[in-house]
Amino acid sequence: MRTTFVVIVALGAWLLAAPLVAHHAFSSEFDISKPLKLRGTLTKWEMINPHSWFHIDVKGPDGTVTPWLIEGGSPNQLIRLGVTKKALPIGAEFIIEGYQARDGTNKAVGRNFTLADGRSFLLGGSAPGATGEKP
Amino acid sequence: MLRRLVAATALGSAIALLLVSTTTAQTSYKVPRLADGHPDFQGFWNNTTYTPLERPKGIDREFFTKEEVVEQMKRAAADEAEQTVPGTVADVHYDFTQFGLDRSQAPLSVNLRTSLIVDPPDGHFPPMTEEGKRLNAARAEARKRAGAITDSDQNEPLSVRCILMDRDGPPMLAGAYNNNYQIVQAPDTVMILVEMLHSPRIIPTNARPALPASIRQIEGSSRGRWDGDTLVIETTNFKDMFMFAFQGASADMKLTERFTRVSDDTLTYRFTVDDPKVWTRPWSAEVPWKKAIGPIFEHACHEGNYSLTNLLRGSREDERRAREKK
Repeated sequence: MRTTFVVIVALGAWLLAAPLVAHHAFSSEFDISKPLKLRGTLTKWEMINPHSWFHIDVKGPDGTVTPWLIEGGSPNQLIRLGVTKKALPIGAEFIIEGYQARDGTNKAVGRNFTLADGRSFLLGGSAPGATGEKP
Repeated sequence: MLRRLVAATALGSAIALLLVSTTTAQTSYKVPRLADGHPDFQGFWNNTTYTPLERPKGIDREFFTKEEVVEQMKRAAADEAEQTVPGTVADVHYDFTQFGLDRSQAPLSVNLRTSLIVDPPDGHFPPMTEEGKRLNAARAEARKRAGAITDSDQNEPLSVRCILMDRDGPPMLAGAYNNNYQIVQAPDTVMILVEMLHSPRIIPTNARPALPASIRQIEGSSRGRWDGDTLVIETTNFKDMFMFAFQGASADMKLTERFTRVSDDTLTYRFTVDDPKVWTRPWSAEVPWKKAIGPIFEHACHEGNYSLTNLLRGSREDERRAREKK
């Protein structure tokens, strides 16, 4: 029993030792104290490394439309998995949960992208060939 | 749930390969060759791994068992596919799995080793010399004097400025994603194209003389040669910078990289750091590289790097708000 415990703790340390490292510090670009949830329609998707940027129009309660820019993941792996910027039609409706930019402009990091009908927007995982990838 | 399912399925093929590769005798492998007789390394490769460079505390073995590795790979895949906790620093990020970027969705190398460092055999860096400690303390001091990283674009790390990432090296080590490489061989040159930041390493293998010691470069100066069926690349002439130093190495580090094909879909990448100024003895690490899907895609880092301006502008806004509060 004790041996099992030691092995589990050791494995935990092994995993912690290799964290995910991103291109830049997101908490310096976006404000942890400004979480937000937006519902909008896609007007443009920029797939440029190191990040992809989703342009969306968000309609307010009074009908005014405000453009937002949402930061998402690097396109390289998406393209490799068969996802191009044509995979999402202009006008597609999204719900985005994320954090607003520190500079206070209408930019945010999209922590979660959900399609308007509630389906998870799992680009990599839903793409053809995303699993069981073969060289 | 869907995320976990994707991670588990993607990982399945890697684990299946692990089980096959550890039962195949590698000594019988017949290396494919080019017309000039040298081994053929050409094609696309990926060096993604869960294995840390240095062996973590609490592990005193060189290898895990197959069962342990399968278990921890599953856990790592599930952890990376798991949502982070709202309101925490880690949560201020896009979801890696949504974009196909968690490691389980890459052509993952599997490795029974508990660390990438293979020498010293304890998996740790050798002790640092007194001179190495002084050098790195001076660098830290210079870094501090330059001010906060968001004070100026020049203060941001080389990765944020699209200059250099750990994939570039040398030595070339994986980051979290986009760990893709293309190798092209010509009779007198080897080219390694690194996808992340799109840097080509062009290495003469025709005994071209080394650069004079006065010419220094961030990525050093590399010369290649063949040692039997192993491609050997030696790099010297690194530049002394307080902004970046590989693991604290000095500009006089001699780096030796060795590429050996061990099966149709794997090559072994081994590098040795020889830097007596900083470490009491040379140290070496070994990483399996796995065949990957091509082509290499453009990494137009500056064109897409709105983040750098956002970081600086956000910081100025923070300062303005702090001033107004006073």
